[in-house]
Amino acid sequence: MSTPTPPSPSPFQAPPVVIAHDLTKTYDTGADQVHALAGVNVEFHRGAFTAIMGPSGSGKSTLMHCLAGLDTPTSGTVHLGRTQITGMRDKELTLLRRDRIGFIFQSFNLLPMLTAEQNILLPSQIAKRDIDQARFDHIVDVVGLRDRLTHLPAKLSGGQQQRVAVARALLNAPEVVYADEPTGNLDSRSGAEVLAFLRDSAQELNQTIVMVTHDPVAAAYADRVVFLRDGRLVDEVTSPTAELVSERLLKLEA
Amino acid sequence: MLRTTLAGLRLHKARYVTTTLAILLGVMFIVGTMVFADSLQDSYEESVMGSATKIDAIATPRPLEDQDGTWQDPEPFTDEQLERLRDLPEVAEADGVRQAPALLLDAEGRAYGMFPPLAMTVGEVTRHHVLEGEPPEGPDEIVLATGISEQTGFEVGDSVTLLDTEQREREFTVTGLFDVGLESGLSYRGAFILAPEAFASVTGAEGFHEIDVLATEGTSQDDVAAAVARVLGQGAEVSTGTEFGERMASRAGADADIIRTGLMLFAFIAVFVAGIVIYNTFAILVAQRQREMALLRCVGAQRGQVFRSVLLESLVVGLVASLLGVLAGTGLGLVGIEYGGPLLDPDMNVTTVVTPTAVILGLIVGVAITVFSAMIPAMRATRVSPLAALRTSATATGMEKGTGRTRAVVGVGLFLLSGGIVALGLSGDPDTNGMWIVAAGAMVAFVGVVVLGPLLVRGVVHLVGAPLRRMGVSSMLAVDNSTRSPRRAATAMIALTVGATLITGYSVISASMQATVGQQLDGKFPVDYQISPMMNLEGLEGEGEDGEEGTEAGGTDLSTVPESVRSELAANPKIEHVFAQRLDSVDSGDDRITNEDGTIPVVTFLDATVGEEVQPDVVEGDLADFGPGSVLITEERAENLVIGDTITLGDPEREFEIAAVVANTGMFYGLTLAPRDYEQVVPEITGDSTVMVRGSDSASSAELREAVYSTVDEHPTLNVTSMGDMRQEFEQMLAIAFYAIAAMLGLAIIIAVFGISNTMALSVLERTRESAILRALGLSRSQLRRMLGVEAVLLCLIGAGVGVVLGVVFGWAAISATLSNIVLGFPLGQVVAFLVIAIVAGLVASLLPARRAARTSITGALASQ
Repeated sequence: MSTPTPPSPSPFQAPPVVIAHDLTKTYDTGADQVHALAGVNVEFHRGAFTAIMGPSGSGKSTLMHCLAGLDTPTSGTVHLGRTQITGMRDKELTLLRRDRIGFIFQSFNLLPMLTAEQNILLPSQIAKRDIDQARFDHIVDVVGLRDRLTHLPAKLSGGQQQRVAVARALLNAPEVVYADEPTGNLDSRSGAEVLAFLRDSAQELNQTIVMVTHDPVAAAYADRVVFLRDGRLVDEVTSPTAELVSERLLKLEA
Repeated sequence: MLRTTLAGLRLHKARYVTTTLAILLGVMFIVGTMVFADSLQDSYEESVMGSATKIDAIATPRPLEDQDGTWQDPEPFTDEQLERLRDLPEVAEADGVRQAPALLLDAEGRAYGMFPPLAMTVGEVTRHHVLEGEPPEGPDEIVLATGISEQTGFEVGDSVTLLDTEQREREFTVTGLFDVGLESGLSYRGAFILAPEAFASVTGAEGFHEIDVLATEGTSQDDVAAAVARVLGQGAEVSTGTEFGERMASRAGADADIIRTGLMLFAFIAVFVAGIVIYNTFAILVAQRQREMALLRCVGAQRGQVFRSVLLESLVVGLVASLLGVLAGTGLGLVGIEYGGPLLDPDMNVTTVVTPTAVILGLIVGVAITVFSAMIPAMRATRVSPLAALRTSATATGMEKGTGRTRAVVGVGLFLLSGGIVALGLSGDPDTNGMWIVAAGAMVAFVGVVVLGPLLVRGVVHLVGAPLRRMGVSSMLAVDNSTRSPRRAATAMIALTVGATLITGYSVISASMQATVGQQLDGKFPVDYQISPMMNLEGLEGEGEDGEEGTEAGGTDLSTVPESVRSELAANPKIEHVFAQRLDSVDSGDDRITNEDGTIPVVTFLDATVGEEVQPDVVEGDLADFGPGSVLITEERAENLVIGDTITLGDPEREFEIAAVVANTGMFYGLTLAPRDYEQVVPEITGDSTVMVRGSDSASSAELREAVYSTVDEHPTLNVTSMGDMRQEFEQMLAIAFYAIAAMLGLAIIIAVFGISNTMALSVLERTRESAILRALGLSRSQLRRMLGVEAVLLCLIGAGVGVVLGVVFGWAAISATLSNIVLGFPLGQVVAFLVIAIVAGLVASLLPARRAARTSITGALASQ
C-alpha cells in the first residue's frame, strides 16, 4: 500500500459530486409515449457508494446513462461537479467521459484483443494521459491481478475480467464511477469479491461510485440505496442490509 | 424453411448491398462486353456484306505455287479475259479493278506510309462505294481511303500530289472518300481510287486484280459464278457475292472476336474477384449467425435444410444482382458502342444488339459464381451444433486463431515450387513459351499467397504495427483489430492482390520494355535520325520486268538511300557524324549457313567501326579480329561452326574466316563483312540501306531537323525517322496500352475494395458492443472512424503490397523469359501511385462502416446482447 489511506469522511457531509435535477426521459413509440424518467431529483456525494435499485423497467439504467452522459434526457439537468453536462455536445461529452468518469459494465467489459494490462491502461491511452505508476501498482495489487496482466480476456475467469474492469475504472481516479450490474454475470463468490473492492475503494480512495443493480445482496455493499419505480425516485435507505433492501423492493413491486 | 430464409434476407438487406454490387459489376462487365462485341460484329458484317452482296460473282487471281514451294504473286486478269466474261450469256455486266502501288505525298511533301499505298481504278460494277463526295471522273480527280485521309489530314476538296513511275509530280483534287473496311492489304497500306486514264498514266499498270460480275435477270449467283470460273480456269478464284461477303464477314467477326476475347478476359478476372468477395461475405455471415442457425437446428431443422437455406440465400442474392448486372451491362454496351464503336469502325451504324446469349451468359455466370462461392460457408453452417444457441457469446469470439503449421509448410512449399517453375522458364532461350511457364509459376505463387494469407497478414501487421501503435490509440486498436480474424482479413486482401499483381506485372513489363528501348537508342553512339528507303517498291518501276536487284525507276534506284545523301549530310556542319548500313541477300553454296533457298543476308557498315558506332552483343570471339577477309556471324547460323572456321561466299567464291559470333540483335543479321569485301560480294548496289545521322551538340533540334529534311527534299520516297519521335511514339503506345489495361483491371480493383468495405462493415456489426464500450470510455467519434480507417488502409496496403511484390517479381521473370537482352525497369512512380491508391481505397472502404459505427447509439449498443 504505497498511498496513505485518507480518513474516511462521512459521505453525507461531503459536497455532492453528481446532481440530477428534475430529470425526465420520454420515448416515442409511435402512438403513445413512454416515460422512462418522470422527474428525478438525486445527488451523489464524494466518496459515497450508492446503489440504484428498482424493478425491471423502472428506469434505473436510463437514469445511469443520463447521469453518465451516455444518453441525453428529455428535460432536466445533470451536473458533474460544477459542470452542467446536459446540453453538451457529443464531443464535449466524450471528453468528459474520458477524463472524469469511470465505467464498469455487466459483461463484455473488455476489448478481446487487448491484454488485461492494455485494457486497464486503455482510457489513459485514449486521453494520452501519463500513467501514475504508483497508483497503477497499488490498484493492480488491490484487485489481485499482478500475475494476470499479460493475459487476454479470453484466458481470464469472469470474476477476473470484472476485476480488470474495476481496475480500469479506478485508475484515473475519476470524479465518479458508474457500474451497471457489475456482478450480474458472476457467481456469488466472485461477485462478493468485486463488490468488496468497490466498497473498499469508495472508503479508502474516497471514490464516488454509483451502481445499478437488482440484487439486494449487491446493494447491501453500498452506503445508500435509492429506489426507482416508473421513472420516479420513491424511496431511499442508508446503511442498508440485504434483508432491508429486499423488503423495500418487494413492497415496491407489490 | 423457405419463408425463414426469405424473411432473413429481407431483415438483413443491408448486409448484402456490397455483395450485390460486387456481383452486379462483374455481370455488368460480361454483358457489356457481349453487347459491345455483338453490336460491333453486326455492324462490321453489315458493312462488308452490304457491299459484297450487291455483286453476284467475284473473281480474284489465284496465287500460284512455284516449283520450289514459294508463292508467286498472282498473274492479274487480262482485258481479253474480261471481254470473254462480258460475252457470257449469264453475265449482265462485268468490270475489273486495276490495282498498283503508287506514291502519294503527304502535306510535307514526303511519301506516305512505310509501304507505297495502292492506286486503284474501278468500273461501274464494283464493291467499293464512295462514302463521302463523288467518285473520280476527270484525269485529276482522286478518292482517298478514309485511313489516308485521317493520317494526312487531306479532305474532300484538297489538292494532293502523286508521283508517277517517272517520279514526276502530278496534282489531283480529292473528290471523295471511301472505306476499305477490313481488307487487309488495302487498309494496311492505304488506297486511293483514280479514274481509269489517270490510273494508267500514273502507274502504267494493266490487268485486273479483281473482276466483279452482275448476273442477268433470272440467273442465280451460283450459276454465274460457275460460268465465270469455267472461262477463267485454274488461275482464278471465283466466289458468289454472298460467299465473298460471308468470308469477309467472318474475318470481320474474327476481329470483333479478338476484342470480345480480350475484354472477356478482364471481365472474368472481375468475376473471379467478385467470387472471392462473395465467399468472404457468406463466410462471415455464417459465422455471425451461428446462433441463428443453431436455433434453427434446436427447433428441428436438419443439416441439409440449413445448408439449403444458406444456398437459397445466395441464389436469391445472385439472381437479383445478376439481373441488375444484365441491365447495367446492356447500358454499358450501349454507351461503349455509342462512343467506342466509331473509333473501331468509322462506318459504324449504331444499333445495339442484345442477344439472348449475352443475357443468359450474364445470368448464369452471376448466379453460378454466387452459389458456388457460398458453397463452403454453407457447408460450414451445417456443422453448427444446436447447443451453440445456448452459448452466451453471441459471436464466434476468438474464431480461427490457429493458422497452423500445415498452412505454413504448404505455403512455403508452393513458393518453392513456383520458384522452380520460374527458374525453368528462365533457363531456356527466351521465347513465348517462357512467358507461359512464368505465368504458370505466378499462378502457383498466388495459390501460395492464398494459403499463407492469414500468416502473411499477421506477419506484416506485426512488422508495420510497431511504429503504427506509437501513433496513437486509434492506430493501436486498428493494428490489433486487423489480426483478429486473419483468415477473413486475408481473403479480403487477396481480392485486391489479384488486381494489384496484374497491374503491377504489366507496368513492370512496360517499364522494362521502355528501359530496354531507351538503352538501345541511347547506346554507345546515340543516333538522332535514321533515313531508309520505303519498303516494297516493286511494281513502281512502270510496266515490264521485275528488275533482278534494286528497283530502277526513271533511272533512280528507289530501294536504297543514294550515296549523295550521306555525303551531303556529312558535309553539313550541323551534323556531327553520318554512317550507313548496307544490307542485302546473296547466294552462297555454303549450306551450313544459308537459308533453305540458298541465300544469306550480308551486312556492312560504312563510315562506322564495328564496336564503336555500331555495337554488337558478342557471344564468342573478339571484335578486334574482325577486318577484311573475316566476318561476324550471328549465333543461330554458327551452330556447327567455331571461331576460326572459314565459310565461302560470293561469285566467284571467296573464303572468309569467322572472327566472332554475335547476337542477332540491332543491326546485325547473317554475316557482317568489311566494306571492301561487301562491295565484292554485292557489286551491283551502290546505295545505302539505312543512313544514321547524329547531330552536333551545338545544333538545335530544329536546325538538325532542317538539315536532314532539306537534304532528302529531292528524295520524297525516303523515310526519315526521328529517334526522339520514335521513342516518344513508343512510350505513348506503351502508355496507352497501360491505361487501357489499368482501366480494364480497375473494375476488379473496385470490386475488391467493395469486398474490403463489406468485411469492415460486417466486422463493425460484430463489434458493436466493443465500439460502444470504447465510446463510453471516451473514444471520440473521429477516433473511432480513424481506427476503422487505419484498419482498412492496413488491409488494402497489405493486399496491394503483396500484389506489387508478386507483380514485380513475375513481371520481371516473364519479360526475361520472353525476350532477350532486356533491361529490367522498375516503374517507381507507378508503384508509388498504386500504394497511394491503396491508401485512398482503404479510406474509401472504411467510410460507410465507420460512419455506421460512429453513429450507433452507445446506450442502444450496450443494452443489446
